[in-house]
Amino acid sequence: MKGNLVTFLRKDFRLCVSGKFFLLALGSLILYSSYINLVYVKLDQEIFPVYRYDPGKVQGECAAGVTDVGSLEELEAACEDGYSVGLHITGDPGSGRKPEIMMVSCGVESLDHIREAYARALLFPEDREDGPKRDSRDALGQAGIIGTNTREMKSRREITAEFLFFELAAVGFLGLASMLFKEKQMGVIRVHAVIPVSRVLFILSKLVLILLSDLLFAALLTVINLGMKEGLRVLPGVLMQAGILSLVMALIGFLCAVVLPDFKQFSLIYLVLAVFITTPVFLVVQTGVEMDWMRFHPMYHLFTAMKNAYFQISSAQGIYYGVCAAAVVLLFMAAQWGLDREMKKEG
Amino acid sequence: MNWTGLKYQLKALRRDKLCVLTFLLPILAGIAVNLMGDMDFSAMAEPSFGIVRDGLTGEMEDWLRTNGTVEIYDSREELEEAVKEPATQTVGVLAKDGEMKTIRSGDEFTMYAKIADRLPRLYEQREMTAQYDLKVLPAGGGSDIMKPLLTVIVMITAMFMGCTFNAMNILSEKEDGIEYVNEILPMTRGQYVRQKIAVGFVGGTVSTVITALICMRIAAAQILPLLLLVVLSAFVAALAGLFIARFSGGLMVGIVYIKIIMILFLAPPILFYMLVPADSVWYGVSYLFPSGATFYGLMGLMDGRTDMVREVAALAGHGAVWSAVYVMMGRRHRKKVQEG
Repeated sequence: MKGNLVTFLRKDFRLCVSGKFFLLALGSLILYSSYINLVYVKLDQEIFPVYRYDPGKVQGECAAGVTDVGSLEELEAACEDGYSVGLHITGDPGSGRKPEIMMVSCGVESLDHIREAYARALLFPEDREDGPKRDSRDALGQAGIIGTNTREMKSRREITAEFLFFELAAVGFLGLASMLFKEKQMGVIRVHAVIPVSRVLFILSKLVLILLSDLLFAALLTVINLGMKEGLRVLPGVLMQAGILSLVMALIGFLCAVVLPDFKQFSLIYLVLAVFITTPVFLVVQTGVEMDWMRFHPMYHLFTAMKNAYFQISSAQGIYYGVCAAAVVLLFMAAQWGLDREMKKEG
Repeated sequence: MNWTGLKYQLKALRRDKLCVLTFLLPILAGIAVNLMGDMDFSAMAEPSFGIVRDGLTGEMEDWLRTNGTVEIYDSREELEEAVKEPATQTVGVLAKDGEMKTIRSGDEFTMYAKIADRLPRLYEQREMTAQYDLKVLPAGGGSDIMKPLLTVIVMITAMFMGCTFNAMNILSEKEDGIEYVNEILPMTRGQYVRQKIAVGFVGGTVSTVITALICMRIAAAQILPLLLLVVLSAFVAALAGLFIARFSGGLMVGIVYIKIIMILFLAPPILFYMLVPADSVWYGVSYLFPSGATFYGLMGLMDGRTDMVREVAALAGHGAVWSAVYVMMGRRHRKKVQEG
C-alpha cells in the first residue's frame, strides 16, 4: 500500500511537472507578490488637499497640508476636482471682510460638510496643527487607537488572504481538473479499471500532491508578503485553513472532472463557480455590504476563516471544523463514486 | 462571403453551451448593473461613524449625521469590534465629561485617520460658521463614478467576448478533425478567415448591442459614435479570436488563453483610467491596448461627449495592423508548407 502510494505520487508529480502546474503556481506567486509589494500597500486615500490664496499675507506660514497659490484663478482651478478645498483670505479679521471657503460640491452632502469643517479648522490660525495653542484643550486631538495593525500591515494581511483564497479556490481547482482530463484523454482511467490497484489510492495521491503544493504555496505567499516575523506568527492558522480549502476544492475539482465528459463543460462549471459563487463572497467581505443570506454560503465561512487566520482572530469554532471534516469525507466518497462510475463506463 | 456557411457556423455556436453562456453573461451583468441603478455607491466614500446607544448627546449625534453615516451599537465592546473590523473604516465616537472623544483602529486610510483625530475639534467649532463665507459650487459631472465604470466594464466584456465565439468554434473544429475536411472543401483560405471573423464579429456585436440597450442611456447624437466603437471593437475581438485559435493546440489551452486575453483587455484600461492623468504620456501608451481606446470612448460617451475621433482612429489602426499581421503570418505558414 505504502509502496503503491509512492508510485502514484511519483506518477502524479511527473504529470504536474509536464502540465506546467508548478510553473503556473510559481508565476502566480511572483505576480501576486509583485502586485502586493509594488501597488497594493501603497494604496491610500489622502485627506482633501487644501489650497490657500492669501494676497494680503494676513496669515503667516502655511500650515501642514495647506498649499499656497498665487492667484484667485489658480485657487478656483485647484478646487475644480470636487475634492480639494480652497481658502480665500480676503483681509484682516478686523477689516470686516470675511475669509471665504470655496469648493466644488462632491455630490455627497455629508462629505461636503466634513470638507467644510476640515478646511475651517485650517482657516483660523490658532487651530492649525502648527499654530499657537491657546490652552491644553485647544491642542489638536488624537483619537484613541485600539487596533494592533498599521495601515500597511492591514493591507498586507487583507490582500494576501484574498489572493490565497482565490488561488486555492479557483486556480487549484482548475489545476487538478486539467490533470485529470489529461489522464482521461490518455486512457489512464480505462487502464486503471482493469489493473488491480486501489481506487482510493488513485484519488489520495492526487489529493496529497495538491495539498502539499498548496501548503507550500500558502507558506511562501504568507512569509514573502507579511515578512518573516508576522508570517511565521500567523502561519499555523493559515496553513490549517489553506489545508481545509485545498482539500475541499481539490475534491470538488476531482468530482467535476471525473463526472463531466469534456473540459468544455467543466470550464462552464468553472465560470459559474468563479463568477456567481466567489464574487458575492468577495463583495461582502471586502466592502462590508450586508447580505443576510450570506451565512448560508459555504464559501463565505471558508473565506472568513482564512481572513481571520491572517488577522489572528480566533473565530473558527468546533462546529466549523466538524462541518469541514464531514464535507471532506462526503466529497471523498462522492469522488470515489464518480471514479467507480467512470471506470464502469469505460468498461 | 458564403452566407450558408456562416449560417451553419452560427447554428453550431448556438448548440455550444459555453458560447451561449458567454453570450448571455454580459447581458445578465448588464441587467444586474441596471437593477443596481438606485443603489447609492457614494455611501462607501462617506465617513462612517459608530456610536454606543445613548452614549452621545442628541446634539452630537445630529451633528455626526450631517457629516457621515452613523451606526449604533449596543455596547462599547460591540463598537470596538466594529472599529477594529478590517473591512471597514468606521470611526468610533464617544462622549466623556460632555466632550467628544474618538477611537480608531490605526489601520485606516489617511483621510479617515485625520478626520477621526480632528473630529472633536471640528465639533467644537461647529458654531463658527458666521465668521466666514462659504461658497459651494454645484458638482460638475456625475458624482457617482461607480455606476458608469461598472457599465463600461460590462460593455467591454461584451465586446471582447467576441473572441470566445470564433476561437471556440475553430478549436472545436480542430479537435473534431473538421479542419482537415475544410482543407479539401472548395473554399479559399480568405473565405475561411472571413467566415471565422464573421462568427466572432456577429456574436460580439449582437451581445454588445443588447447589453447597450439594457444599460446605456445616451443621446441620439451619440448613437453613431457608439456603433462605430462597438463594430470596431468586435472586429478587433474577432481577430484576437483568430490569433488564440492559431496559437493554442487544444481547447484547454485555448480556454486559458481566452482568460488571459480577457484579463489583459479589462485590467490595464481600468488601471490607466484610475491612476494616470489624461494628459500624461502613459495615457497615450494605453492606446496600445485595443480595449484602452474602447474604454476611454465609452467613458466619454457616459460623460456626454460625442467626439470620438481619437478612439475610433486608434481602434481602426488596431484592426488594420492586426489583420495585416494575421495575413502575413498565414502567408509565411503557407510558404513553409510549400517549401517543406
